[in-house]
Amino acid sequence: METHYVQNADLLQTLGGPRGKRMIGPAPTPALAWLVSMQDSASLDGLTQPRAAQSPKSLFLPPSESVSTYGPRASPTATETQPLVMLGVRACELRARNYLDKVLAGGEFHDPAYRRRREAITIVSCDCADCAESCFCTLVGGQPFATEGFDVNLTPVDGGFVAEVATDKGRQWLGQIASTPAAPAQLAAREKLRKEMTARLHKQNAAYATSAFESVPAKLPEGDDEGWQTFAADCVECGACTHICPTCHCFYLYDQAAGEDRFERVRTWDSCLLSTYHRMAGTFGMKPTPRPRLSSRLANRVLHKFVYSLRQYELPGCVGCGRCVDACLGAIDIRRVVRDLSA
Amino acid sequence: MNSQNPYTPVPAELVEVHDETPTIKTLVLAPSEPVEFKAGQFVQLTLPGVGEAPFTPSGSPREKDRIAITILRTGVVTDRLHECRPGQTLGLRGPFGKGYPLDKLRGREVLVVGGGVGLAPLRALILALLPETDTIARLSIRYGARCMEELLYRNQHAAWAAQKKVDFAATIDRPQPGWTGPTGVVTTLLKNLDMDKANCLAFVCGPSIMLKFATYALEAEGLAPQQIYLSMNRRMSCGMGLCGRCNIGPYYLCKDGPDMNYGTIKDYPNVF
Repeated sequence: METHYVQNADLLQTLGGPRGKRMIGPAPTPALAWLVSMQDSASLDGLTQPRAAQSPKSLFLPPSESVSTYGPRASPTATETQPLVMLGVRACELRARNYLDKVLAGGEFHDPAYRRRREAITIVSCDCADCAESCFCTLVGGQPFATEGFDVNLTPVDGGFVAEVATDKGRQWLGQIASTPAAPAQLAAREKLRKEMTARLHKQNAAYATSAFESVPAKLPEGDDEGWQTFAADCVECGACTHICPTCHCFYLYDQAAGEDRFERVRTWDSCLLSTYHRMAGTFGMKPTPRPRLSSRLANRVLHKFVYSLRQYELPGCVGCGRCVDACLGAIDIRRVVRDLSA
Repeated sequence: MNSQNPYTPVPAELVEVHDETPTIKTLVLAPSEPVEFKAGQFVQLTLPGVGEAPFTPSGSPREKDRIAITILRTGVVTDRLHECRPGQTLGLRGPFGKGYPLDKLRGREVLVVGGGVGLAPLRALILALLPETDTIARLSIRYGARCMEELLYRNQHAAWAAQKKVDFAATIDRPQPGWTGPTGVVTTLLKNLDMDKANCLAFVCGPSIMLKFATYALEAEGLAPQQIYLSMNRRMSCGMGLCGRCNIGPYYLCKDGPDMNYGTIKDYPNVF
């Protein structure tokens, strides 16, 4: 693949590009970066910080979105999607995007809105030059740099970035920025960073690198096992883990009036941890649910990531970004769950 | 199915409403474009602006331009569906799911076990099999309802039973004036089952608790889990395996069901 070298100043200049072209990326903050419009940020520091606190999931699959309008006076559902450049996407986030592709656009039925957004996005990924304490991509078959799935991939090296181009879309984007062919020393620096980061992730997860993670799918007990109750005791059922997770995609559809003789169907994020999630039809206050116990709902989420997904999509449902570890109010660490409950 | 957008319902005019029991109605719909289904597949029925709910059509799959859906009044959407009048426009999405494994029924004794409104999806199976009874060994229907008034399709039972190779038995929960048939829950009809158990496939549909005890009763009679299909017509939302709501282990009821082989799902908790 072709590799270029881009200086920091030249990349920075594109951030102040025309307003019409949206570019979203990580903006530096004292703690973890947050995804913002790069036109407002004008800093590249977010690219070398650990992965952002939020994943880019919401750019593919917004928390709430109208997916259909119907009725005698319905106007056609919008099919135009503005092009968008996503800067600084991490390898784990690309794996998560691949997973969402399989779920929402890889089977018999496709989610049209997801596909539209997906196609309108140019992905400029970036190797990890730092990681959060909760990061564990290497435990689940990942690595802190991407080798596929991007349009352009950046690796921070001295004074700039090595840019690897994978697609025409990526070539077009990089074409706006002054670059030179990457020198052997710059490519060597890229290899060095990749090795160092991989070693660092292995080291920080040494306590979890047991046979539990070697087994794919994991040998976890089903939700009626008492072990789940130990962890469920700390769960406050807030749904933060599912909302922050880059692969959690479960949703709820609801209908509402959108004018006279016009109705709208809305797809909104939902969380399998919430007691209302599995609820079936019934009279008010009497709606039966097949998973009344929190421990069985928690088990269902973890089993979906580490067992069921492999069967359904031949991909693990966890990419090891560690966001759920950071977000959990009950300090539940999914690495500990898998390690301690695996046979 | 709307080819551009699978979330958009196909408009369907409500052409007939039949009062089946005090709590159950059958709505007959004429979709504006054909919604062809195989027996056991389900559709999402939209009440515009209110929401949708999954139902397996209860009519014959051979009727291409009409879809009959039998609905128990049990929640927000179904309460409102019961108030619908002919002429109203509703919406349909689907069909979804695999449908009954009709190809596996050749030469078999087919046992249909229904509880309450659970007879509705099974009626599609019965109507698919009735013209083809020469291809199966037997069609045995066992049905239970709370009381005489709640017996679904009551005026059709005799006609079903009159067909060759078909037998039918119904029970109601408690004795009632005018009822001469058996009493007790439907599992009482499964005791000492007079069937070729090695060659039998059972299809069960009803409330969760009925599914559970009917399954146990059938196992007690010697049926293997693989011989029992459970209609898990519940919990589905998108119908397409996207929204994640209806899983039992790695299976999505909407995609892999809604009739699930008990042998496939029995080791997962929360089946019933």
